[in-house]
Amino acid sequence: MTYLIFFIAAIGTLAGAIGVIALKDPFYCVLALVVHLISLAVLFMLLRAEFVAAAQVVVYAGAVMVLYIFVVSYIGGQNLSGSAGPGRAGTLAAFACAGALVAELFIAVLGTGLKAVGTGGAHVAAGFGNPESIGTLFLTKFLAPFEIASYLLLLAAVGAVTLARRRGGLDDGIEQRAPRISVAEFMSARPYYTGTQHETLGRPESLPEPTQR
Amino acid sequence: MSFALVDYFEPWWIQIIKGIVLFAIGLQIVPLVLLAERKLLGRFQGRYGPNRVGPYGLIQPLADIVKLLGKEQSRPETSVGPLFIVAPVISIMTAVGTFAIIPFGDAPHIFGTRVGLYGVDVSIGPLYIFALSAISFYGLMLGGWASGSKYSFLGAMRAAAQLISYEVSQGLALVGVLITAGTLSLTQIVHAQEGMWYIVPQLAGFLIFMVAAFAETNRAPFDLAEADAELVGGYNTEYGGGRFASYYFAEYLNVVVVSGVATTLFLGGWLIPGWHGQPAWTDPFVVLFKMTLFISFFIWIRATLPRLRYDQLMSFGWKILLPLATLNTLATAIIVVAVHK
Repeated sequence: MTYLIFFIAAIGTLAGAIGVIALKDPFYCVLALVVHLISLAVLFMLLRAEFVAAAQVVVYAGAVMVLYIFVVSYIGGQNLSGSAGPGRAGTLAAFACAGALVAELFIAVLGTGLKAVGTGGAHVAAGFGNPESIGTLFLTKFLAPFEIASYLLLLAAVGAVTLARRRGGLDDGIEQRAPRISVAEFMSARPYYTGTQHETLGRPESLPEPTQR
Repeated sequence: MSFALVDYFEPWWIQIIKGIVLFAIGLQIVPLVLLAERKLLGRFQGRYGPNRVGPYGLIQPLADIVKLLGKEQSRPETSVGPLFIVAPVISIMTAVGTFAIIPFGDAPHIFGTRVGLYGVDVSIGPLYIFALSAISFYGLMLGGWASGSKYSFLGAMRAAAQLISYEVSQGLALVGVLITAGTLSLTQIVHAQEGMWYIVPQLAGFLIFMVAAFAETNRAPFDLAEADAELVGGYNTEYGGGRFASYYFAEYLNVVVVSGVATTLFLGGWLIPGWHGQPAWTDPFVVLFKMTLFISFFIWIRATLPRLRYDQLMSFGWKILLPLATLNTLATAIIVVAVHK
């Protein structure tokens, strides 16, 4: 059962990753990335990192990718091939970087002598990777990185708000112009002939004068 | 290598039976909620509601289901085929998946075998709910996008923005409960409420949670995603037949699930205050009764409040609800630390 889930998740991970770079339509690329991230979460689950798995889905699939989907579904569907390719030098640099990464990974993996293959995996204590242990680590051993990372995110959020405010947005001041209706207005007397047929059809002369409500 | 996340103490055949029973219960609750909503809405509006099919109109939901399933499953020419079909499936899967972790009771011994009266008791508790609700976003979004219709697309966009905006407040509202209980396991949270239900010390959290729950389930007054006056039907405009039934089922199952979560986290789950030695067989009935209260509340609100405007919804979520939820979390943390010192 575990192996079955592992292989399904692994295939999902790889297929998603390939789909991100291979598919033409940006919307499908984003969807492939979502599949990739959710499959990764399943793999985390198998490694008993339940909190990381949940955080992966909530943060990446649930928040980051949602923004991607927003952008792509608003502007996608058009022909985006107008942008020029990276050019010969860019392509060469890309291949060089990819080659360097592959070499580095091979050195790291083969450098262990593949001793871990065939064993049952690392031994983990009970409660490993659950929210309690991760929380304890965050607030004791890794307090400084944790706080710095949260300040970084806070700065990013404040910066985004500041930038958006300075530009003024697409429809400046539309919120001020929008009618605001308070409860008091509902309770107070209505002006003559508002919200009735008189507004559109005019007022027939024969009707008696309305009284204040 | 095995799953260490969940406390499986039952043999495999009990797990299968549990899965079937839970699914059957969920499937039975939803038509009842549908009927209750139509009946109650009728009464709220001074009319009878459905009363033709069967005695007192009791078989109305059955007739609705047969009607929906018997319809042709039409598909617009502009739609994107595979996504159009997958989207309702995602919606219903996440709704049913969340239903699995609502505890209907503790783990009593039934005929000598210990059985947990819940699908699973995940150690990450509420995080599991949020993870699935994050995935349910794709059900709405893909459905609206793949329909190839402007109404569907606008509805999906609204639903998505609303979902992620109110998820933040909902999560923060739950943090107060988690701090007070000191655990993420839903059954442990219920046990922690033996002295007092969390609706009392976490009243602010409860109110924030309920408001956010209305937005999360796309119910009135936050049902802008399917605002029928402006968007025809929102993200499910182009759906018909069984696929529409799936969306409809998922929406109402979400209401049931949120009611179950609120019952578990704030109303003490299966506990009845002041009754010690409560027999285990009463537990599911107590939970179902409390869930019924919440479901009726959902229907009541739908009959009472008008729909908000979209900018009101967004500014309320970000400018009022989120600061309140943050304050609630902070205050709870400070009080808990001060009391436990």
